[in-house]
Amino acid sequence: MTCIRSFLRGSLLISQKKRVNKLNLESVSRCLTSFIIKQDKGCIINRKRYISIVFAWIKYLFTVLLLLCLINKGAESLGYNWQWYRIPKYLFSFDNGIFQAGPLLKGLLVTFQITSISLVLCIIFGFITAMMRLSDSFAARTLARAYLEIIRNTPLLIQIFFIYFVISPVIEIEAFTSAVLALSLFEGAYASEIFRAGIVSIDKNQWDASYSLGISKFHTYRYIVIPQAFERVLPPLTGQIVSLIKDSALVSTIAIYDLTMQGRAIISKTFLTFEVWFTVALIYLVITASASMVANMLEKRMKYENG
Amino acid sequence: MIEINNINKAFTNGITALKNFSLTVQRKEVVVIIGPSGSGKSTLLKCLNGLEEIDEGSIVIDGIPLDHQKKNRLEIRKEVGMVFQSFNLFPHMTVMENINLAQMVVRKKSAAQAQETTMELLTKVDIASKAGSYPAQLSGGQQQRVAIARALAMMPKVMLFDEATSALDPEMIGEVLDVMKNLAKEGMTMIVVTHEMGFAKEAGDRIVFMADGEIVEQGTSEKFFNNPEKERTKQFLSQIF
Repeated sequence: MTCIRSFLRGSLLISQKKRVNKLNLESVSRCLTSFIIKQDKGCIINRKRYISIVFAWIKYLFTVLLLLCLINKGAESLGYNWQWYRIPKYLFSFDNGIFQAGPLLKGLLVTFQITSISLVLCIIFGFITAMMRLSDSFAARTLARAYLEIIRNTPLLIQIFFIYFVISPVIEIEAFTSAVLALSLFEGAYASEIFRAGIVSIDKNQWDASYSLGISKFHTYRYIVIPQAFERVLPPLTGQIVSLIKDSALVSTIAIYDLTMQGRAIISKTFLTFEVWFTVALIYLVITASASMVANMLEKRMKYENG
Repeated sequence: MIEINNINKAFTNGITALKNFSLTVQRKEVVVIIGPSGSGKSTLLKCLNGLEEIDEGSIVIDGIPLDHQKKNRLEIRKEVGMVFQSFNLFPHMTVMENINLAQMVVRKKSAAQAQETTMELLTKVDIASKAGSYPAQLSGGQQQRVAIARALAMMPKVMLFDEATSALDPEMIGEVLDVMKNLAKEGMTMIVVTHEMGFAKEAGDRIVFMADGEIVEQGTSEKFFNNPEKERTKQFLSQIF
């Protein structure tokens, strides 16, 4: 009995404490609010937004700090010796005042080459496959379906190996070409589903209107359906581009000196494991984040005036 | 001008939309089709320009049979304009581009020629100042008038109106009906599905009353509204008026 009683008392205490905490939070927020109101001359709509933004930033900074502490502690317990000063020369250096790209930047260039070529091919493959799946021909639909199922149900790494070790000796292509082919086939399958969804999402009324004017199926696609579908497809397609950039790291397994492979090479020479992987990850992050930003801008610009 | 012979149409879900339906429309005639919803009026219009396939029977428009040949189908669609209940303008194009498109793609006109026709038509439907606007910036009545201009830009021989005023706010119905009445006066062959009895009385040469995919009764507007013969017609009219 006493045990239960003390437990109850404990929980009561805790709840009281919580209430105190809550009160504190409320008073803090009230302070903030009054401050913002003074600044804003009582703009009620903005008040709540300001508070939520302020709190979001506090939470965010707190999380980042916590993570950094954790990493630092982990490294300390490993006895890791941070040597950030050695990293810049792997990015770039100045030889007699002339800019010299380091291995990481060279690797980045290769990653760029692979992803940009793959991106174009991926969109072409994706578009053709989507049109095949939507076509009236049974053969085309089945073919597209088979391609999709094979690609989506096997790991990308295996596909890269398959193309590099099995197909490339037969048709005599280089590692770079195999990598581009594997990546674009893989991402193309996913892109095709995005395209198909975009095209299917266009209202049947648009088809009716176009057909009723005597416009052919081809021209309806070209002038009416695809322009509208493209806009809807842009956000998910950006996601696909971001995955393409990230997935391109896998081509380092077939001896292509992309960003990831260069990172591995540097580590095997210098043992700067933490610093190099942090740098490589940051570079990927910057590229993918800017890809998303560009897409956002495009999306805004393309939005036709909606009244 | 239009000969519809014994057409049958059933949807895949088993609902019969048209039963042994036959109708002949003369050149310059304005036929108004009325009837309760679900009686197959809209389906009939969609069959006339091949947006829906008929199961049996034949449709011949201006001497061209509507059959499985792609060429004939496209030819008929060029000659038959259609206006929809939900306007169906292309939202990513301006009013001007909406109307230019088919002229340039189907009729192979140059941009300048198309634009000239477009401006003429926009003046005709009294909306020339909105040529550069997007459909979403227009009111329902304005959108529908643009849709009519778009259909007219193909210089069709027949115009089909599928409940063109049903989706409009009451104060905008008049402006669209006026455009339609003017078209009728100019001698356009028209098939109009509508619930606007005022329009039917004023502009309709012939009224066709449909129920359950069949014609119940038809006649001149005067005879139809004043002396209906069939019991079903009387019942329908008493519900409306």
